[in-house]
Amino acid sequence: MTLSARDLVCSYGPTRAVDGVDLEVDGDSILAVFGPNGAGKTTLLKALSGERRPDSGRVFADGKAVKGSDPEWRSRVGLVSHRTGLYTKLTVTENLLFFAALHGVAGAATAAEEALATVGAPELGRTRAEALSRGQRQRVALARALLHDPDILFLDEPFSGLDPSGAAALETILRARRSPERIVVLVTHDLRRGLRLAGRVVVLRRGRKVLDADRAECEAEALLGLFTDPGSPA
Amino acid sequence: MTSLRWIGVIAWKDLRAEFRSGGRIAAMISFSVLACFLFSFSLGSLVAGRDVAAGLLWLTVLFASISGAGRTFDAEEEDGAFRHLLLSPVSRHAIFLGKAAANLVPVTLVAAFTLFALTLFFGIAAPGSVALHAAILLPGTIGLAAAGTLFGLISRHSSLGDSLLPALTFPALVPLVFFGATASSRVFLDRPWAEISGPARLLWGIAIGLVAVGALLFRYLTDD
Repeated sequence: MTLSARDLVCSYGPTRAVDGVDLEVDGDSILAVFGPNGAGKTTLLKALSGERRPDSGRVFADGKAVKGSDPEWRSRVGLVSHRTGLYTKLTVTENLLFFAALHGVAGAATAAEEALATVGAPELGRTRAEALSRGQRQRVALARALLHDPDILFLDEPFSGLDPSGAAALETILRARRSPERIVVLVTHDLRRGLRLAGRVVVLRRGRKVLDADRAECEAEALLGLFTDPGSPA
Repeated sequence: MTSLRWIGVIAWKDLRAEFRSGGRIAAMISFSVLACFLFSFSLGSLVAGRDVAAGLLWLTVLFASISGAGRTFDAEEEDGAFRHLLLSPVSRHAIFLGKAAANLVPVTLVAAFTLFALTLFFGIAAPGSVALHAAILLPGTIGLAAAGTLFGLISRHSSLGDSLLPALTFPALVPLVFFGATASSRVFLDRPWAEISGPARLLWGIAIGLVAVGALLFRYLTDD
């Protein structure tokens, strides 16, 4: 499958958070989006996932224009964001069963158990989300995103809060998801991990795309240079 | 999955979280009981309970509902869950109706407690038919739950926050409270159904209208 965007523009008032971005990513490849704070990474991810309607430009999946309000599109999308999006008064299993029900997952209880095992947290099922550490919550959030086996997985700073073993497990999961029928879009500040996973790299600065290249053509030091605005104090 | 099933799943999730935290329902019921006690303390020796009970009932339920409505989206916002709910394949209408259905439970509990407390504190020996009170309060609570859910969302996403809630809600709920109090007062006074059915029908119409408008506006407000 392919996911592409043409001339995307998203604004907050007079500020253009995403300014005329084109990109294309094929299945079997993880797209890593880097950029300094305020570069427009999260807004770009929201536009790609259909959460936010762009002011202009379109997103296409397999050549067909994406409509964010289309339930069929939303059933194909999974999201891990920097806020974990769990209901704190519910247990982990209740959270997973709730989202499984929304997505119409068959055999929800088994799927929830398997998802927790996949993220290395099979023992957390009966724990209320409010009692989890930040890293544990992030694992559960990943389990929720994987529950319905989405075609396209969007991850916004997924490594934040994860301990080294959690981060390693996440890397393994993302590598295992690489397939021609699936796409992973990863937004992160973690250059080292992002580059280890990425097949394609995009760098944003002030909403504009300043690099779009195959991973093989990118070096971390050169990318760091792109984070800084020309003319701004070092 | 049908919309009805989604509505049930969302309402069940909200209620489960609500009863585990417990704060909102307890606060709403405490407010209503305290208000009824103060009303009886200040008015009890001046007027007959049956003459004023309907107005006090609806006033108390209205204020308690609005105070609770501001917290309708607390669980959704606490850790950003609302973003994930909106990104699921569930229709916006089903989300609204599920959350309004969950809101209906505390509002109905408050209405029941308030009716009981007014009867008790004012010493009303014959408060009228319980079934008729229920027939009047049901559309009223449905309307209050729908309006509270919608305005709870609006106030959440406004920089004015909860201070905006009464300003938005009260004007929209004036007809509901007016016809509700009219119908309830006739029930308290043991008037025949023929005198009650008019405002009761209007009350149902307003309640259905609030649900429909709420569902439409909710979709508009959350479809970015």
